[in-house]
Amino acid sequence: MATYQINVNGKQRTVEAVPDMPMLWVLRDLMGLTGAKFGCGIGACGACAILVDGKEVRSCSTPISDIGKGKVVTIEGLSTDGSHPLQKAFVEHDVPQCGYCQTGQIIAAAALLKAKPHPTDADIDEAMSGHICRCGTYTRIREAIKIASGAK
Amino acid sequence: MVTDLTRRSFLKVVGGAGAAFVLGCYSAPASGLFKNSDKEAAQGFQPNAFIQIDPDGTVTVTVNKSDMGQGIRTTFAMIVAEEMDADWSKVKVAHAPPGGPAGGQGTGGSSSTRQMYGTLRQLGAGARAMLVAAAAKSWGVDAASCKCDTGKVMHPATGKSMSYGELTSKMAGVTAPDGDLKLKDKADFKILGKRTRRVDNKSVVTGTATFGIDVKLEGMLYAVVSRRPSFGASMGTVDDTATRKVPGVVDVVKISSGVAVVAQNTWAAMEGVRALKVTWDTGFNASVSTASIRAGLVEAAGTQPDLPAGVKAVKASIDFPYLAHATMEPMNAVADVRDDSCVIYSGTQSPDGAQRQTAQMLGLPAEKVTVHLTLLGGGFGRRSANDFVADAVQVSKAVKKPIKLVWTREDDMRNDHYRPMSYHSFQGAVDASGTPVAWNHVIINAGGRSGRGGPGRAGIPYAISGATQAGGAGPSPVPTGAWRSVEHSQIDVANECFIDEMAHAAGKDPLAFRVALARDERLKKVLTMAAEKAGWGTPLPKGHGRGIACFSGYGACIAHVMEVSVVGNEIKLHRMVAVVDPGLALNPQGVEAQVQGAAVDGMSTALKVGITIEKGGVVEGSWPDYPWMTMEEMPNQEVFVIDSGNDPSGMGEVGYPSGPPAIANAVFAATGKRVRKFPIKVSELV
Repeated sequence: MATYQINVNGKQRTVEAVPDMPMLWVLRDLMGLTGAKFGCGIGACGACAILVDGKEVRSCSTPISDIGKGKVVTIEGLSTDGSHPLQKAFVEHDVPQCGYCQTGQIIAAAALLKAKPHPTDADIDEAMSGHICRCGTYTRIREAIKIASGAK
Repeated sequence: MVTDLTRRSFLKVVGGAGAAFVLGCYSAPASGLFKNSDKEAAQGFQPNAFIQIDPDGTVTVTVNKSDMGQGIRTTFAMIVAEEMDADWSKVKVAHAPPGGPAGGQGTGGSSSTRQMYGTLRQLGAGARAMLVAAAAKSWGVDAASCKCDTGKVMHPATGKSMSYGELTSKMAGVTAPDGDLKLKDKADFKILGKRTRRVDNKSVVTGTATFGIDVKLEGMLYAVVSRRPSFGASMGTVDDTATRKVPGVVDVVKISSGVAVVAQNTWAAMEGVRALKVTWDTGFNASVSTASIRAGLVEAAGTQPDLPAGVKAVKASIDFPYLAHATMEPMNAVADVRDDSCVIYSGTQSPDGAQRQTAQMLGLPAEKVTVHLTLLGGGFGRRSANDFVADAVQVSKAVKKPIKLVWTREDDMRNDHYRPMSYHSFQGAVDASGTPVAWNHVIINAGGRSGRGGPGRAGIPYAISGATQAGGAGPSPVPTGAWRSVEHSQIDVANECFIDEMAHAAGKDPLAFRVALARDERLKKVLTMAAEKAGWGTPLPKGHGRGIACFSGYGACIAHVMEVSVVGNEIKLHRMVAVVDPGLALNPQGVEAQVQGAAVDGMSTALKVGITIEKGGVVEGSWPDYPWMTMEEMPNQEVFVIDSGNDPSGMGEVGYPSGPPAIANAVFAATGKRVRKFPIKVSELV
């Protein structure tokens, strides 16, 4: 066990964990932040996505010991009231079906729009293709990203 | 629309309504549907309530079905709110507790809307009638001279109006109406038939929606199970020395599905499983493989009968693999077993099944088992079995603590109740004029569906004289279950591939051939419209092909046109057009979503995924081996929803069966070669 001081959603948090515990379980089991989801544990589906210093990271395969001074933002920290443009677009465009992958999809899209505020279809494909939606909401995800980026 | 499924809101609904006015009711009986339960409301207890109106005007609709992404919470609330003339912005949704009078909660077979539409309308109309009666009495006017709109009762002659919230304090002495009430004319609908967003959207996008895996109870421990490597394997020795040294591991217990490691967090439990040494005896299933199972299916199919002389014979076989459900949220459950009771939280398609099963396992009366239903991170039929609940119950009982038991992705993919593998033998014939004169489809399922072999309910929607369909089951140790569209996912997919071959043999256009033979006018219409929207018959680039297929079932009709290109060994999807006739589309936006989503299942299973059996177990373990469609592979999806005026159909399954054959037929159009096996590989075309 080791003690870590990490910055999560703008707050300094102290947590005791083994060094190789993935951030997913730190967030979900130790901090009570369940917005990032467990989908595979090998970084293959994107349900666990979080932002570290604005970039998308697969929390299921990122040990807490790798976080250091990185600023972690989870879906709970993107906005507290659903006011982030992507959250609004996903609601307005009625994207979710079962909803389980959606927080990861939104986090990935947020990282994309931060890097490329006006993404092309190819940019969207590249940023989002590692994110499986088993309900098949891809068409609406693409449209919602375009709405949030002002392209639609 | 304000709603979110938090434990607090759930408890508020089931635990106490305070001074709220409650309409208690029963879903099953046609008569005596209503029970005025003012008294129950005062006591704050309402196990059978579908509708609750709070003094602030909030209307809470209790939904007795599981929402796994099909949007039934939204649809049911819309139906009730429509007949109530409720203010949609003040409608909330709660889940019904199991075992109450809300009726069976099993969710599957696209049955929810068809089963509950009439009942929910009556319940909404009854609530409205009682509110009108209360208002009329308070004003001293005739109830017939009042009308309702957006959560208010109005008396146009005097200009008086009162909100439903205000009326909750004036319900004393108002009795429930007798018999069936007159329902609204569809032309007067204000909520139903309108594109309406899902009630759970906001909680989903803020990460506050509660799935089974998100539940946390006081003092809860976490468990992960080390499972058998193959079906029917028996446990040998267990060495947990290393496991017990893993930081955070609390206990190791044997349960029916394997060895559970109990820990202070999920990661420690997973690490504990990795450190565990368990030996297994695979037994007689060691030699079972996809190839050995297939050999049994082919043998069971036998040979086709002789055809009369002078006809043009068409023969084909089609193979389907086992399919895993692979829901995004792996199986999981939270259980808190006490000496005389048990509380369960889970996303299950069968909450009352979970209650019965748990009561039986623990030797408790059913009412001592409480099952709190959460949202489901995908279902597709998988969550109709409650094996994950059984796991959590056994561990909680053993360690006497609340347990959250989580399956890993690999546990989930290798311990599913699979869509069966199947082998299909076809023989058909056309005469000199191109008219089909024979059709025989033999279907052999590996192990059958849910223990049943045979052809099930599916059949061809075409008028072919003397058409026959027969089926049976071949031996397999692999457990099977319902998967989106169930037997239609094999039988109708195969039929729509073979009808295309018949059209080709007849020298006819596949669209015209289908339309000429289709028995159902609704089916003809969706076929014709899909073709028109897709530009059927217009030229395509070299290497591209267009395929059509249709499906009629669950009260709906649908047709797909898919456009593909085949370059080398790569099949690429370019465009999908679907036209669906769901009868009355209660929520057209939801219907469109189901068709978009089911088509992605169609694309994934047509081109990419299948479960392989080796040494009696499942080879594939996670997404890299079972690669679902991704964003970059998606074609443009165009979905058209038309209203035939029929009663509303089910929608969860409808969008699947015509997708894969439309792709297979498009591959034929592009290459001149037929698909004999799913998932489609260019190297296996004939």
